[in-house]
Amino acid sequence: MIVCVSVVGHQNNPLYIQSFTDADDALKLHHVVHCSLDVIEERVNNPKTTLNEAFLGLLYPTLNYKVYGYLTNTKVKFILVTTDLDVRDTDVRNFFRKFHAAYVDAVSNPFHVPGKKITSRTFAQTVSNIVGSYGLN
Amino acid sequence: MAPVGPRSGDAIFSSIDRVNAELFTLTYGAIVRQLLTDLEDVDEVNKQLDQMGYNIGIRLIDEFLAKSGVSRCVDFKETAEMIAKVGFKMFLGVTASVSSWDADGTCCSIILEDNPLVDFVELPDTCQGLYYCNVLSGVIRGALEMVSMKTEVTWTRDALRGDDAYELQVKLLKQVAEEYPYKDDE
Repeated sequence: MIVCVSVVGHQNNPLYIQSFTDADDALKLHHVVHCSLDVIEERVNNPKTTLNEAFLGLLYPTLNYKVYGYLTNTKVKFILVTTDLDVRDTDVRNFFRKFHAAYVDAVSNPFHVPGKKITSRTFAQTVSNIVGSYGLN
Repeated sequence: MAPVGPRSGDAIFSSIDRVNAELFTLTYGAIVRQLLTDLEDVDEVNKQLDQMGYNIGIRLIDEFLAKSGVSRCVDFKETAEMIAKVGFKMFLGVTASVSSWDADGTCCSIILEDNPLVDFVELPDTCQGLYYCNVLSGVIRGALEMVSMKTEVTWTRDALRGDDAYELQVKLLKQVAEEYPYKDDE
Protein backbone atom coordinates (compact mmCIF):
# COMPACT_ATOMS: atom_id res chain seq x y z
CA MET A 1 0.00 0.00 0.00
CA ILE A 2 1.27 3.44 -0.89
CA VAL A 3 1.36 5.63 2.18
CA CYS A 4 2.88 8.81 0.81
CA VAL A 5 3.77 10.50 -2.48
CA SER A 6 5.63 13.72 -2.93
CA VAL A 7 6.90 16.12 -5.55
CA VAL A 8 10.04 18.05 -4.67
CA GLY A 9 11.38 20.94 -6.75
CA HIS A 10 14.90 21.36 -8.04
CA GLN A 11 15.99 23.36 -5.03
CA ASN A 12 14.59 20.68 -2.75
CA ASN A 13 11.53 22.79 -2.07
CA PRO A 14 8.37 20.75 -1.51
CA LEU A 15 5.82 21.22 -4.29
CA TYR A 16 3.31 18.62 -3.28
CA ILE A 17 3.14 16.09 -0.48
CA GLN A 18 0.25 13.85 0.28
CA SER A 19 -0.03 10.93 2.64
CA PHE A 20 -2.63 8.20 2.32
CA THR A 21 -2.94 6.75 5.80
CA ASP A 22 -5.64 6.98 8.40
CA ALA A 23 -3.13 6.99 11.21
CA ASP A 24 -1.74 10.31 12.33
CA ASP A 25 1.75 9.76 11.02
CA ALA A 26 1.98 12.41 8.33
CA LEU A 27 4.89 14.07 10.09
CA LYS A 28 6.82 10.82 10.20
CA LEU A 29 6.23 10.27 6.49
CA HIS A 30 7.34 13.80 5.70
CA HIS A 31 10.48 13.04 7.62
CA VAL A 32 11.06 9.89 5.57
CA VAL A 33 10.63 11.89 2.37
CA HIS A 34 12.97 14.57 3.64
CA CYS A 35 15.67 12.02 4.43
CA SER A 36 15.36 10.43 1.02
CA LEU A 37 16.38 13.71 -0.61
CA ASP A 38 19.90 13.21 0.69
CA VAL A 39 19.99 9.76 -0.83
CA ILE A 40 18.91 11.18 -4.19
CA GLU A 41 21.60 13.85 -3.94
CA GLU A 42 24.15 11.18 -3.25
CA ARG A 43 23.11 9.10 -6.23
CA VAL A 44 23.06 12.02 -8.60
CA ASN A 45 26.43 13.38 -7.54
CA ASN A 46 28.15 10.01 -7.44
CA PRO A 47 30.85 10.27 -10.10
CA LYS A 48 31.17 6.49 -10.47
CA THR A 49 27.70 5.86 -11.75
CA THR A 50 25.93 7.74 -14.47
CA LEU A 51 22.18 8.01 -14.50
CA ASN A 52 20.65 7.17 -17.80
CA GLU A 53 17.05 6.94 -16.78
CA ALA A 54 14.66 8.93 -14.64
CA PHE A 55 13.73 6.04 -12.38
CA LEU A 56 16.12 5.89 -9.44
CA GLY A 57 14.93 2.63 -7.93
CA LEU A 58 14.81 1.81 -4.25
CA LEU A 59 16.36 4.68 -2.33
CA TYR A 60 16.47 3.07 1.05
CA PRO A 61 14.53 0.51 3.01
CA THR A 62 13.56 1.36 6.56
CA LEU A 63 11.97 -0.97 9.04
CA ASN A 64 8.44 -0.23 7.91
CA TYR A 65 8.76 1.56 4.61
CA LYS A 66 10.36 1.30 1.24
CA VAL A 67 11.19 4.54 -0.48
CA TYR A 68 11.42 4.86 -4.27
CA GLY A 69 12.58 7.87 -6.22
CA TYR A 70 12.28 9.33 -9.71
CA LEU A 71 14.18 12.29 -11.05
CA THR A 72 12.96 14.23 -14.06
CA ASN A 73 15.28 16.03 -16.45
CA THR A 74 14.29 19.31 -14.88
CA LYS A 75 15.56 18.05 -11.50
CA VAL A 76 12.12 17.64 -10.05
CA LYS A 77 11.97 14.63 -7.76
CA PHE A 78 9.06 12.32 -7.23
CA ILE A 79 9.15 10.22 -4.10
CA LEU A 80 7.00 7.24 -3.26
CA VAL A 81 6.76 5.66 0.19
CA THR A 82 5.16 2.26 0.44
CA THR A 83 4.59 -0.29 3.19
CA ASP A 84 4.67 -3.28 0.84
CA LEU A 85 7.57 -5.57 1.43
CA ASP A 86 7.64 -7.34 -1.90
CA VAL A 87 7.31 -4.66 -4.51
CA ARG A 88 7.47 -5.39 -8.20
CA ASP A 89 9.75 -3.06 -10.06
CA THR A 90 7.38 -2.77 -13.00
CA ASP A 91 4.56 -1.61 -10.73
CA VAL A 92 6.68 1.20 -9.40
CA ARG A 93 7.88 2.18 -12.87
CA ASN A 94 4.32 2.20 -14.07
CA PHE A 95 3.27 4.31 -11.14
CA PHE A 96 5.96 6.90 -11.78
CA ARG A 97 5.16 7.03 -15.48
CA LYS A 98 1.54 7.89 -14.75
CA PHE A 99 2.54 10.23 -11.97
CA HIS A 100 4.90 12.06 -14.28
CA ALA A 101 2.13 12.49 -16.85
CA ALA A 102 -0.18 13.88 -14.16
CA TYR A 103 2.56 16.27 -13.06
CA VAL A 104 3.11 17.50 -16.61
CA ASP A 105 -0.60 18.23 -16.99
CA ALA A 106 -0.64 20.07 -13.67
CA VAL A 107 2.27 22.35 -14.54
CA SER A 108 0.76 23.02 -17.96
CA ASN A 109 -2.06 24.86 -16.25
CA PRO A 110 -1.43 28.51 -17.08
CA PHE A 111 -2.38 29.48 -13.55
CA HIS A 112 0.32 27.35 -12.02
CA VAL A 113 3.47 29.27 -11.12
CA PRO A 114 6.58 27.16 -11.74
CA GLY A 115 8.45 26.46 -8.54
CA LYS A 116 5.42 27.09 -6.36
CA LYS A 117 3.25 24.52 -4.64
CA ILE A 118 0.84 22.56 -6.79
CA THR A 119 -2.62 23.50 -5.57
CA SER A 120 -4.62 21.97 -8.40
CA ARG A 121 -7.59 19.89 -7.28
CA THR A 122 -7.52 17.93 -10.52
CA PHE A 123 -3.94 16.93 -9.82
CA ALA A 124 -4.82 15.79 -6.30
CA GLN A 125 -7.70 13.77 -7.70
CA THR A 126 -5.59 12.18 -10.43
CA VAL A 127 -2.87 11.31 -7.95
CA SER A 128 -5.26 9.59 -5.58
CA ASN A 129 -6.69 7.66 -8.54
CA ILE A 130 -3.21 6.53 -9.55
CA VAL A 131 -2.44 5.56 -5.96
CA GLY A 132 -5.72 3.67 -5.78
CA SER A 133 -4.99 1.70 -8.94
CA TYR A 134 -1.41 0.94 -7.96
CA GLY A 135 -0.45 -2.70 -8.08
CA LEU A 136 -3.76 -3.80 -9.57
CA ASN A 137 -2.46 -4.60 -13.02
CA MET B 1 -9.12 29.28 -58.90
CA ALA B 2 -12.62 30.01 -57.75
CA PRO B 3 -13.83 27.95 -54.81
CA VAL B 4 -16.28 25.33 -55.90
CA GLY B 5 -19.32 24.79 -53.75
CA PRO B 6 -19.49 24.55 -49.97
CA ARG B 7 -17.19 22.02 -48.38
CA SER B 8 -17.67 20.16 -45.15
CA GLY B 9 -15.79 21.26 -42.04
CA ASP B 10 -13.81 18.02 -41.93
CA ALA B 11 -12.61 18.37 -45.49
CA ILE B 12 -11.36 21.90 -44.88
CA PHE B 13 -9.84 20.98 -41.55
CA SER B 14 -7.80 18.21 -43.12
CA SER B 15 -6.52 20.41 -45.90
CA ILE B 16 -5.40 23.56 -44.07
CA ASP B 17 -2.20 24.10 -42.13
CA ARG B 18 -2.45 23.22 -38.50
CA VAL B 19 -0.46 23.86 -35.38
CA ASN B 20 0.26 21.51 -32.50
CA ALA B 21 -2.70 21.59 -30.11
CA GLU B 22 -0.58 21.89 -26.98
CA LEU B 23 1.42 24.76 -28.37
CA PHE B 24 -1.84 26.51 -29.15
CA THR B 25 -3.35 25.79 -25.72
CA LEU B 26 -0.25 26.90 -23.85
CA THR B 27 0.08 30.05 -25.95
CA TYR B 28 -3.48 31.02 -25.21
CA GLY B 29 -2.93 30.23 -21.54
CA ALA B 30 0.11 32.47 -21.48
CA ILE B 31 -1.86 35.32 -23.07
CA VAL B 32 -4.65 35.10 -20.51
CA ARG B 33 -2.15 34.84 -17.70
CA GLN B 34 -0.26 37.89 -18.94
CA LEU B 35 -3.46 39.89 -19.30
CA LEU B 36 -4.36 39.05 -15.71
CA THR B 37 -0.97 40.26 -14.54
CA ASP B 38 -1.11 43.44 -16.61
CA LEU B 39 -4.70 44.49 -16.05
CA GLU B 40 -5.10 43.12 -12.50
CA ASP B 41 -8.85 43.07 -12.85
CA VAL B 42 -10.88 40.12 -14.02
CA ASP B 43 -13.59 42.21 -15.67
CA GLU B 44 -10.99 44.19 -17.59
CA VAL B 45 -9.44 40.92 -18.76
CA ASN B 46 -12.83 39.68 -19.96
CA LYS B 47 -13.27 42.89 -21.90
CA GLN B 48 -9.79 42.73 -23.37
CA LEU B 49 -10.19 39.11 -24.44
CA ASP B 50 -13.47 39.98 -26.11
CA GLN B 51 -11.82 42.87 -27.92
CA MET B 52 -8.97 40.63 -29.06
CA GLY B 53 -11.48 38.09 -30.29
CA TYR B 54 -13.34 40.81 -32.17
CA ASN B 55 -10.15 41.87 -33.89
CA ILE B 56 -9.45 38.28 -34.83
CA GLY B 57 -13.03 37.74 -36.01
CA ILE B 58 -13.15 40.65 -38.41
CA ARG B 59 -10.11 39.22 -40.19
CA LEU B 60 -10.95 35.56 -39.82
CA ILE B 61 -14.27 35.85 -41.61
CA ASP B 62 -12.49 36.52 -44.88
CA GLU B 63 -10.38 33.43 -44.54
CA PHE B 64 -13.46 31.46 -43.62
CA LEU B 65 -15.39 32.63 -46.67
CA ALA B 66 -12.45 32.10 -48.99
CA LYS B 67 -11.59 28.60 -47.86
CA SER B 68 -14.98 27.16 -47.11
CA GLY B 69 -16.65 28.31 -50.31
CA VAL B 70 -19.99 28.65 -48.57
CA SER B 71 -22.58 30.78 -50.22
CA ARG B 72 -24.84 33.37 -48.64
CA CYS B 73 -26.90 32.04 -45.74
CA VAL B 74 -30.62 32.51 -46.15
CA ASP B 75 -31.38 33.16 -42.51
CA PHE B 76 -29.79 33.41 -39.11
CA LYS B 77 -30.49 29.75 -38.43
CA GLU B 78 -28.34 28.70 -41.30
CA THR B 79 -25.65 31.10 -40.17
CA ALA B 80 -25.57 29.57 -36.72
CA GLU B 81 -25.37 26.06 -38.15
CA MET B 82 -22.56 27.18 -40.43
CA ILE B 83 -20.56 28.58 -37.50
CA ALA B 84 -21.07 25.48 -35.42
CA LYS B 85 -20.51 22.83 -38.08
CA VAL B 86 -17.99 24.44 -40.41
CA GLY B 87 -16.41 27.36 -38.54
CA PHE B 88 -15.54 25.60 -35.30
CA LYS B 89 -14.39 22.51 -37.17
CA MET B 90 -12.21 24.51 -39.49
CA PHE B 91 -10.41 26.61 -36.91
CA LEU B 92 -10.57 24.60 -33.69
CA GLY B 93 -11.06 21.07 -34.94
CA VAL B 94 -14.19 20.52 -32.86
CA THR B 95 -17.84 20.45 -33.79
CA ALA B 96 -20.44 22.38 -31.90
CA SER B 97 -24.17 21.91 -31.81
CA VAL B 98 -26.86 24.54 -32.04
CA SER B 99 -29.95 24.47 -29.86
CA SER B 100 -32.38 26.48 -27.74
CA TRP B 101 -33.84 28.59 -30.52
CA ASP B 102 -36.31 31.18 -29.43
CA ALA B 103 -39.62 31.68 -31.20
CA ASP B 104 -38.58 34.29 -33.75
CA GLY B 105 -35.26 32.65 -34.59
CA THR B 106 -32.94 35.42 -33.48
CA CYS B 107 -31.40 33.85 -30.41
CA CYS B 108 -29.74 30.47 -30.05
CA SER B 109 -27.12 28.58 -28.13
CA ILE B 110 -23.95 27.10 -29.54
CA ILE B 111 -22.80 24.23 -27.37
CA LEU B 112 -19.23 23.01 -27.32
CA GLU B 113 -18.66 19.62 -25.74
CA ASP B 114 -14.97 19.74 -26.30
CA ASN B 115 -12.86 22.86 -26.14
CA PRO B 116 -9.16 22.74 -26.99
CA LEU B 117 -8.50 26.09 -25.33
CA VAL B 118 -9.04 24.75 -21.84
CA ASP B 119 -6.89 21.62 -21.72
CA PHE B 120 -4.94 21.63 -18.43
CA VAL B 121 -6.71 24.75 -17.21
CA GLU B 122 -8.14 25.01 -13.74
CA LEU B 123 -9.38 28.40 -12.60
CA PRO B 124 -7.90 29.49 -9.28
CA ASP B 125 -10.23 30.87 -6.61
CA THR B 126 -9.02 34.40 -7.25
CA CYS B 127 -10.26 34.41 -10.87
CA GLN B 128 -13.74 32.99 -10.51
CA GLY B 129 -15.28 35.83 -12.52
CA LEU B 130 -13.06 35.17 -15.50
CA TYR B 131 -14.52 33.96 -18.76
CA TYR B 132 -11.44 32.09 -19.84
CA CYS B 133 -12.59 31.52 -23.41
CA ASN B 134 -14.01 35.00 -23.89
CA VAL B 135 -11.93 35.34 -27.02
CA LEU B 136 -14.32 32.94 -28.79
CA SER B 137 -17.36 35.10 -28.18
CA GLY B 138 -15.44 38.05 -29.56
CA VAL B 139 -14.47 36.12 -32.67
CA ILE B 140 -18.09 35.24 -33.44
CA ARG B 141 -19.25 38.78 -32.80
CA GLY B 142 -16.52 40.25 -34.99
CA ALA B 143 -17.02 37.78 -37.81
CA LEU B 144 -20.78 38.24 -37.94
CA GLU B 145 -20.44 41.98 -37.86
CA MET B 146 -18.40 41.85 -41.04
CA VAL B 147 -21.24 40.04 -42.76
CA SER B 148 -23.66 42.73 -41.61
CA MET B 149 -25.13 41.08 -38.55
CA LYS B 150 -24.95 42.86 -35.24
CA THR B 151 -24.90 40.24 -32.55
CA GLU B 152 -24.43 39.91 -28.85
CA VAL B 153 -22.54 36.83 -27.71
CA THR B 154 -22.48 35.78 -24.08
CA TRP B 155 -21.38 32.71 -22.16
CA THR B 156 -24.20 30.88 -20.45
CA ARG B 157 -22.35 27.76 -19.41
CA ASP B 158 -18.66 27.29 -18.75
CA ALA B 159 -17.18 23.95 -17.74
CA LEU B 160 -14.34 25.74 -15.95
CA ARG B 161 -16.94 27.09 -13.55
CA GLY B 162 -18.42 23.69 -12.90
CA ASP B 163 -21.01 23.39 -15.69
CA ASP B 164 -21.07 20.33 -17.90
CA ALA B 165 -20.34 22.00 -21.24
CA TYR B 166 -19.51 25.29 -22.90
CA GLU B 167 -22.50 27.18 -24.12
CA LEU B 168 -22.46 30.44 -26.03
CA GLN B 169 -25.63 32.38 -26.44
CA VAL B 170 -25.73 34.22 -29.74
CA LYS B 171 -28.37 36.89 -30.06
CA LEU B 172 -29.04 38.66 -33.31
CA LEU B 173 -29.62 42.31 -32.52
CA LYS B 174 -30.17 43.61 -36.00
CA GLN B 175 -29.34 42.86 -39.55
CA VAL B 176 -27.60 45.87 -41.00
CA ALA B 177 -28.52 46.52 -44.57
CA GLU B 178 -25.51 46.85 -46.80
CA GLU B 179 -24.63 50.46 -47.10
CA TYR B 180 -22.65 52.04 -49.81
CA PRO B 181 -20.67 55.09 -48.90
CA TYR B 182 -21.34 56.91 -52.18
CA LYS B 183 -24.38 57.32 -54.27
CA ASP B 184 -24.13 56.58 -57.94
CA ASP B 185 -24.50 60.15 -59.07
CA GLU B 186 -21.93 61.64 -56.75
